[in-house]
Amino acid sequence: MKTIAKAKLPLVLELLAKEYKVLVPAKFEGVTRFTPYQQDVELALEENVIMPPKDIFFPQTEKMYKFKAKDKSLEIEEYPLEDAMQIIFGIRSCDMKSIDCLDQVFLTKSYVDPYYKNKRDRSILVALSCIEPMDSCFCTSMGIDPQKAVGADIQAYDLGDKIGFEAISDVGKEILEKISSLLTEEEVTLPAVGEFNLNADVEGVPEKLKEMFDHPIWDDISRKCLNCSACAYVCPTCHCFDIANEVRGEDGVKIRCWDCCMFDEYTMMAGGHQPRPGKKERVRNRFLHKLRYFPERYDMLLCTGCGRCVVKCPVNMDITSIIRQIKNA
Amino acid sequence: MAVTAEQVKTINPLVPIKGKVIKIVQETPDVKTFHISTMDDQKPFDPMPGQLGMLSLPAVGEGMFSITNKGENHIEMAIKAVGQLTNALHEIEVGQEVGIRGPYGNGFPVDYCKGKDILFIGGGIGLAPVRSLIMHCIKNRDEFGKLTVVYGARSKADLCFKEDLFENWPQVPNMDVFVTIDREEEGWDGHVGFVPAYVEELAPKPQVTILCGPPIMIKFTLPTLQKMNFADNDIITTLEMRMKCGIGKCGRCNIGSCYVCLDGPVFTMEQLKDLPPEY
Repeated sequence: MKTIAKAKLPLVLELLAKEYKVLVPAKFEGVTRFTPYQQDVELALEENVIMPPKDIFFPQTEKMYKFKAKDKSLEIEEYPLEDAMQIIFGIRSCDMKSIDCLDQVFLTKSYVDPYYKNKRDRSILVALSCIEPMDSCFCTSMGIDPQKAVGADIQAYDLGDKIGFEAISDVGKEILEKISSLLTEEEVTLPAVGEFNLNADVEGVPEKLKEMFDHPIWDDISRKCLNCSACAYVCPTCHCFDIANEVRGEDGVKIRCWDCCMFDEYTMMAGGHQPRPGKKERVRNRFLHKLRYFPERYDMLLCTGCGRCVVKCPVNMDITSIIRQIKNA
Repeated sequence: MAVTAEQVKTINPLVPIKGKVIKIVQETPDVKTFHISTMDDQKPFDPMPGQLGMLSLPAVGEGMFSITNKGENHIEMAIKAVGQLTNALHEIEVGQEVGIRGPYGNGFPVDYCKGKDILFIGGGIGLAPVRSLIMHCIKNRDEFGKLTVVYGARSKADLCFKEDLFENWPQVPNMDVFVTIDREEEGWDGHVGFVPAYVEELAPKPQVTILCGPPIMIKFTLPTLQKMNFADNDIITTLEMRMKCGIGKCGRCNIGSCYVCLDGPVFTMEQLKDLPPEY
């Protein structure tokens, strides 16, 4: 396997950044997230980043088109799409799986979302394996291998003081060629992955939930939820969005931004009808979406075991214990 | 040029094309029907009966509406003033340029209805989606059996599509139109009473029923239809949820694992039985 000492990794990133926009996990303004590589970037390779990579393909706020509305007239103009290739380095297996989930939503079922597709098509994905799970991790419970990601162009391996590279796709091979002068070929043994603190047994859960829509469990689960939506914002798979306007005089921009099923406004209809009127209905929809509806529609769970919601929930809601409650109900 | 449902999938489905309002009909005090063409006087797209369109005044907002009819060079949307966008739409005049995109959704099972006697039940603005199929049946009169319309509204003034109800449709061969209003009022010598009771009283014998109206009307009409021994897949209705994207991505119009914008808005009673009652 081609390897490089971790301390020399910036040389690889430096070289690639000459040709591509390179996004790396780094600490930026106190938060770890994917950040454009530059020399003084504070790389964060010890743990997974708090903000998932979804905003690279599906930004928190994104301009869709602009318009000019004056009296009876209207002009609509689309923005040109970018075509520069970008490399995203260091995506963990859980987050690689989340990109697979997002691909299902934005690229399948009759319609392709052109904004997402554009960013996805010009992204080269370098996955990075994990050795030591964080306290909140449970990816293996969701059927994910922390050392082998789905959909990667290159699989990078954390080898302790070194990083190993394995090209998976053709474009991955090309990229490895470009950095080969910095790499050493050597035999490696993958280190064993550490113990997981959290576990969840999802076997049979999507099927069991078909009969649990009216189960009293939802009163109990939803009781402490604040409907704050922090879980959805840090979730790598949550993909709901709102479409809104920003208008200045005659000129306007149609934007889309992340939305969340925890909000009242999300389903409130003109005229006042509210199909999900309380937090019980909203919390139920959130977990049924992740564990039943998404599997029904796309044949995969909408949870990757990244554990971000477990860390960020202000009232300590924990999807692994909710799965346990469902199993025991 | 009018685009087809297939073509719209190859262009950016989230960006409207520019259209213009060529005619506005005041149906009731709070319902207007808008006729919309492209700037070069074409149909913006060619919807199937029951499909939806996303209409926008971009500076105000965008909303999904059923397409109540299509003409040679336009589509029609009947819109009740209930919120920010719909109130703004009620302020516009002929010539207003609007954003329009679609068609979305599955539409009514037209082929399944062919050769059958059809009962159309509508309440209030709920006649709008049903009307698209009625108009299709009238245009292709030979392909369908007997057509029966039972329609009700709160008052005489609240009856939508009065010209169709009282002048056009009664003249169509093998078509009956029954209209009712909720309460007695001066100048009304027609039927008075709620739709479910009127359907029971009329006891029509159709093979398939298309039902659309406020949830309360649907709730009380279903037992009547069940008494009439309809199979669940012969009771067909339309649902609505809040929508933003129209293409099954933005999330909010889900009922269970279905998206109303994409998998609906038309559902049979058989399908509804498999969905959570959350609409």
